[in-house]
Amino acid sequence: MPPKKIEPKKPEPKKPEPKKDAAPAAKPAPPPEPLPEPPKEPDFDPKSVAIEFSTDQIEEFKEAFTLFDRTPTGEMKITYAQCGDVMRALGQNPTNADVLKVLGKPRPEDMSIKMLDFETFLPMLQHISRAKNQGNFEDFVEGLRVFDKEGNGTIMGAELRHVLATLGERMTEDEVDRLMAGQEDANGCINYTSFVKHILSGYIYMVHFFSS
Amino acid sequence: MGCGVSKSNQFHKHSRKAIRAAVLIQRWYRQYVARTEMRRRYTWHIFQSIEYSGEQAQIKLYNFLGYLMDNFTPSSTERNLISHIFRENDVCWDSEWERYFCYKNIEVPEVYSGPHLTFPLTVEQAVGLLEAFRNKKQLHSRYVLELLLETWKLLRMLPNINRISTCHSKEITICGDLHGQLEDLLLIFYKNGTPSLEKPYVFNGDFVDRGKDSIEILLILFSFMLVYPCDVYLNRGNHEDHIINLRYGFTKEVLTKYKIHGKRILKLLQKIFSWLPLATIIDQKVLVLHGGISDTTDLSVLTKVNRHNYVSALRPPKRRVHSSAAMSIDIDMDDDLWSTSKIYQRQASLTYPKPLGPRECFHNRSLQDFSTRIKANMENELENSKKREVILAAALHRSQQDILSVSTDSVSSDNVKDEWRQILDLLWSDPMNQDGCMPNEVRGGGCYWGPDVTEDFLNRHNMQLIIRSHECKQEGYEFCHNRKVLTLFSASNYYDVGSNRGAYVKLGPDLVPYMVQYQASSMTRELTARQSVGRTERSALKVLREQLFAHKSDLLCAFKKFDTKNTGLVSLIDWASAVESVMHLNLPWRMLRCQLVTCKMSDGMIDYYDWFNELAIKGPNTDHIDQSLLETLYRHRSTLETIFRIVDTDNSGFISMEDFRQTWKLLSVYLKMEITDEDISTLAETIDSNHDGSIDIDEFMEAFRLTDKKSRLERGRSMFMGTTSDLTKLEGDPNV
Repeated sequence: MPPKKIEPKKPEPKKPEPKKDAAPAAKPAPPPEPLPEPPKEPDFDPKSVAIEFSTDQIEEFKEAFTLFDRTPTGEMKITYAQCGDVMRALGQNPTNADVLKVLGKPRPEDMSIKMLDFETFLPMLQHISRAKNQGNFEDFVEGLRVFDKEGNGTIMGAELRHVLATLGERMTEDEVDRLMAGQEDANGCINYTSFVKHILSGYIYMVHFFSS
Repeated sequence: MGCGVSKSNQFHKHSRKAIRAAVLIQRWYRQYVARTEMRRRYTWHIFQSIEYSGEQAQIKLYNFLGYLMDNFTPSSTERNLISHIFRENDVCWDSEWERYFCYKNIEVPEVYSGPHLTFPLTVEQAVGLLEAFRNKKQLHSRYVLELLLETWKLLRMLPNINRISTCHSKEITICGDLHGQLEDLLLIFYKNGTPSLEKPYVFNGDFVDRGKDSIEILLILFSFMLVYPCDVYLNRGNHEDHIINLRYGFTKEVLTKYKIHGKRILKLLQKIFSWLPLATIIDQKVLVLHGGISDTTDLSVLTKVNRHNYVSALRPPKRRVHSSAAMSIDIDMDDDLWSTSKIYQRQASLTYPKPLGPRECFHNRSLQDFSTRIKANMENELENSKKREVILAAALHRSQQDILSVSTDSVSSDNVKDEWRQILDLLWSDPMNQDGCMPNEVRGGGCYWGPDVTEDFLNRHNMQLIIRSHECKQEGYEFCHNRKVLTLFSASNYYDVGSNRGAYVKLGPDLVPYMVQYQASSMTRELTARQSVGRTERSALKVLREQLFAHKSDLLCAFKKFDTKNTGLVSLIDWASAVESVMHLNLPWRMLRCQLVTCKMSDGMIDYYDWFNELAIKGPNTDHIDQSLLETLYRHRSTLETIFRIVDTDNSGFISMEDFRQTWKLLSVYLKMEITDEDISTLAETIDSNHDGSIDIDEFMEAFRLTDKKSRLERGRSMFMGTTSDLTKLEGDPNV
């Protein structure tokens, strides 16, 4: 772990927000909601976040930030809409809801208009980086086992597509296609253990694929 | 699933899990997409930085050679080695050129299975040519020469700036850089239809270099232009220039495909390139040109220039002393005569005002060095020049009789300089986001121009849009300057498979641009996004590692400055700034660090000696060669190869030992490095194993791993030049 550095100007650190929980205890009648009802939380206050990243890390973040900067004069600013992507490019794994929260719950129409500079971005990134519950291999597999009707380690591709496109933070059909490319066998079944490994390895540097 | 109460508990518990799983998968997917996008972006930066610095290097080399020409004694071997590329190519007399183009003696053997052309060309023949190339046939040199002759005749009649219109509800299709990528041209014609009366086209330059089918693309474009002269328009690009072609592969391609007549074909193409129009204007409102504009671009000046005088945009035409005096004559026939007229002109050119920008810096720096290294043999010269005067006078008398149709205006030096600069700007400039206009030092030619310059220019000329090419764009096109400038690039997968799409533009009478994108190569369709980014990234990193290795000595110096205690370690921050200070590529080094430095870091410090070992490129049998020499070889391999090809005057692919030595002397002067005779002999021996006194250029480059066989892309293109392994595949019909 790199040595931690506390920025002198920030006040005492605030405790990270508790993660949103899944749906509350089963009720008889209503169908499951697309997004679980979160407990009421105070709004995100960037000023209260102490930066614990090292100088090296911060320099690296700046590089990534600059890569995504599309301003005509290179002002080191990104749009709200890009914020999530930059965080993910830096190895964080927030949900869209997490991102909206640290952005202060902006209106949808503001997302492509309002800009974010690096100084404002950094505490948001710090906050997101403290999130626990990133989800591990077992979590994934457990979740997918729900759809394993025959208990044989496979699920129907069509069903998974449906889930990804309709539940949680919905993906578009295109996104689903890209994610599932080459995963289904001739019968349209997916071995979900392999699938999870595939997702988790997705961003790891590919060794080689076409050797000709 | 049932809907009873007991089961519904189970249902909701499952669906809770399902939702959680969905959310997990979705966020991980989104992370993957973002990381891929980031990798794509820095990969792009790497390629683009290296590409532009390659262009800059070529310009520097050319300036260096120009300097040699201007300042070496005429008898010096170095100068003789390279003088031929500076020969002026003026049109003296039509009949002379017709003779040179003469294809009538060239027999087409019966075994030839390619297309036969008869002139005037018909559309069926043009389409037939397209098909033949699609089937990997090669056009016989006789037909090539005939086609080029007809093309030249047509081009000479065209104005500098074509003016066309979208009347009759015609949509005009505009294509950007093709760079020898035949697959893209075929794809465009497939999607959009071939050129015809109903389907006019404008091709915006850079038809050649880098891709492996440059000559085929030219032949197709020329043939359609001959069939539909009012519906096919070609603009000149910065790669329609024989100096650039030496480095970027077109020269090599032609010489390999046409072993007997390649040299002649290239010479004619030099002429043809210089006759290509400079720009096209659509409906008086849309300007289409290859590079861009500057704050001094003046269309009324450009309309009047003698564009064919600018055989290479990199060098202004020599100032003519007076028309009756030193008319340079194309001289394949008479070396002496040529060299004497050159001397005469040398006086003029020494006083010729030097252009702005990096060229000037180079000249200033090198003047002191060269004066000490090269002795101008003044006495000898004076004596010789007296002799030459006599010869010259006789020659001029003869040539005056020959010359009938040459302009007798003696162009004043200021006019020429201004004209030249305008043309250079047209072919080399790039837009920038800030207001203003400044020299384009990254490329070494043209300028960067800002939105205010665009605004001013469009207002002045009462136009509404500039369409240009010259820069590779990920989506095949990109608007800037408030949508008043459109960059259009038609070579997909330019840096590597999957790196970018290509695009063409359709413009109807409403003059609203309609973009069509595409991506050639079945390979791309099979690759998933992850795989294609991965491949491109691997290529880019490999190229980058090679560049780093090639700069080892400078990097070592830079590291030592930070490592004052000589521990062999530098911190990450110091590593990044040292690397940037040497490489000047403006890349996100920290982000790339984990890909570039795989040896372990201790306490956040990098062991740079370890790192150099990691990067080291070892060729076979190179252990006996000095490491620093190897590094030089590697770093300047493109320059080296370019010089070889220049020296190889008969384009045989072989140079003599003596010329080989002279090449090294040239290089050592250029690089201001010591390369001893012993070094050179050692190098030569590694290659010339049969001691027959000649060096095979390609073998030499291969032997030192200076060409990169292993990273051959399917499209057979390298960052610098194509290699033998690509082109041997093209050696089909030996009879061409």
